[in-house]
Amino acid sequence: MNRWLVPVLTLLLTGAALLSILAGTVWLTPGQTWDALLSTAPDLPGLIVREIRLPRIILGTLIGASLGLSGATLQGLLRNPLAEPGLLGVTSGASLGAVVAIYFGFASSFGLATPLFALTGGFVTAGIALLLARSGGTLALILTGVAISSITMALVMLALNLAPNPYAAYEIMTWLMGSLSDRSWDHVMLALPFVLPGLVILLLTARALDALTLGEVQAESLGVPVTRIRLMALAGTALSVGAATSIAGSIGFVGLMAPHLVRPLVGHQPGRVLLPAMLAGALLVTLADVATRTLIFGGAPLNIGVFTSLIGTPFFLWLILHVRRRTA
Amino acid sequence: MRLAALLAGLVLTALPMPVGSADVPHLPKRPMRVMSMNQCADQLVLALLPPERIASVTWLSRDPDGSLMAREAMRVGINHGLSEEVVRQKPDLVVAGSFTTAATRVLLRRMGYPMIEVDHAESFEDIRRITRQVAQAVGEEAKGEALIARMDRQLADLARNAGPRLRVAAWDGAGFNASEGSLYNAVLEAAGADNVANRPPATSYGRPDVEVLLATAPTLLVKGAGLGRKPGLRDNVERHPLVRRYWDGARTLTIRQATYQCGTPMVGDAAIALRAELRAAAARVKTPLPFASARDL
Repeated sequence: MNRWLVPVLTLLLTGAALLSILAGTVWLTPGQTWDALLSTAPDLPGLIVREIRLPRIILGTLIGASLGLSGATLQGLLRNPLAEPGLLGVTSGASLGAVVAIYFGFASSFGLATPLFALTGGFVTAGIALLLARSGGTLALILTGVAISSITMALVMLALNLAPNPYAAYEIMTWLMGSLSDRSWDHVMLALPFVLPGLVILLLTARALDALTLGEVQAESLGVPVTRIRLMALAGTALSVGAATSIAGSIGFVGLMAPHLVRPLVGHQPGRVLLPAMLAGALLVTLADVATRTLIFGGAPLNIGVFTSLIGTPFFLWLILHVRRRTA
Repeated sequence: MRLAALLAGLVLTALPMPVGSADVPHLPKRPMRVMSMNQCADQLVLALLPPERIASVTWLSRDPDGSLMAREAMRVGINHGLSEEVVRQKPDLVVAGSFTTAATRVLLRRMGYPMIEVDHAESFEDIRRITRQVAQAVGEEAKGEALIARMDRQLADLARNAGPRLRVAAWDGAGFNASEGSLYNAVLEAAGADNVANRPPATSYGRPDVEVLLATAPTLLVKGAGLGRKPGLRDNVERHPLVRRYWDGARTLTIRQATYQCGTPMVGDAAIALRAELRAAAARVKTPLPFASARDL
């Protein structure tokens, strides 16, 4: 099972991506899609495939990979099954940065402002979260996450109140539910330089995370540079989740679910969870994105974040009960 | 038990007075200090009454983007829909919207101010009804009928020289499309345009996504302005590279919010102006969209 996990996940992700390229307002046949990929003609299938759906799939994959991988890394680092960028408040910190960039004119005058502001917000909140949640177990972690999320959301509300745009509050409510609609290659270019280094940095922590299961002191005595690993997890999470949030809004629970889905299959070794968790995260977001385009209830399409939260909340509750039973 | 009684007492005292009961003060026949607390009612009041009979209108009406009567609004006082302002300005008739400033309306009714509540107009029929309602309340029935007759003449003229219908995708400054049954859509139809954004394959009340625009290939994009250049999320997403490539410039028409926002008889003028703008914009479009079927330009 173990050996096949990564290839199987890759295959599933490819399948989801293929489904994603066919599905939408205009349904395409595989033949049309193939022709569209090969040609450069500005006809309907060509434009839809090359300019709308391809960037969308790439963004979905990148964002899902960021969330899944950072979730797995944080869970390994903090040795806590509930650690996740969303629950730790990193996503809301990144949202705050993005909101400030978008509504106070930084984004329109300087293209990279949104991802840069978002990753700054993510960096600060992730730093605080890691500092506070390092010791004290599950309760400290959840409380830290709640505190950070409430503060950042209060600041988002303050920013919206001060924003000169009267529609800011409405726009940001939909944006905070997460969406990939109408994103383009511009957004891919904006996210890529931040997400890719972030993912690489996170993957590099794998070996150290295994040693960290023994505890920080023991890991240190084994020659693991714990402080540096912590900084790497912090920077990787801020880079990848910050950029992802600045493009697609906040998509919750993926970072929580993805590592738990693959963990039983790799034998509870944090270092070996990373790559499968990254793929599982990408798969979850890609599937959720397909769902937003195909399942339409009563006119308005649902947002990605709504789907992931609908699946994620029961999972989260189950996990809390499970953890409590185990540690009680 | 005592707690329950106490709660019941609290609920009873908190209840507002019954709506439409006999305690509503009777309205004056010819009010001399009319105060309007609704942006759309403002324009009716301004059109029906001379400035000296208006106590105040909302501050929104001085914005030329959102109001067809901005110039007239500069000559009268303003309010922000707050009950304290009502007490200070001592109107003998308050005109309020039936959807907005709910808390203020309950309070004013309890304090015994003469007040009428005006619906939001979503059609030309609504406009006739509301204009008559306000005209009667301020004692200017003849003027109200004249305004309605003028609008009906304008609409009939527009319908007579209809010309070819234009296919457009239209949404307002907030990014909601001109949905079926809205005044925006009615004005567009009167001006000679069919909105593809409010029917399948477009799915929601929002701005259609780029896939829908490609599939329906509207000749023009009609956008409500009214925001000026305020940074927002729409700068980020609305300007998809495909929209920029195929619709920017000649194929995008930005119209004043005032054109469609408020149901007043003055939308007749707005529809005439919109038709001229639409025709002029369509005339500037030279090359067909490469992905559209042959019949559409």
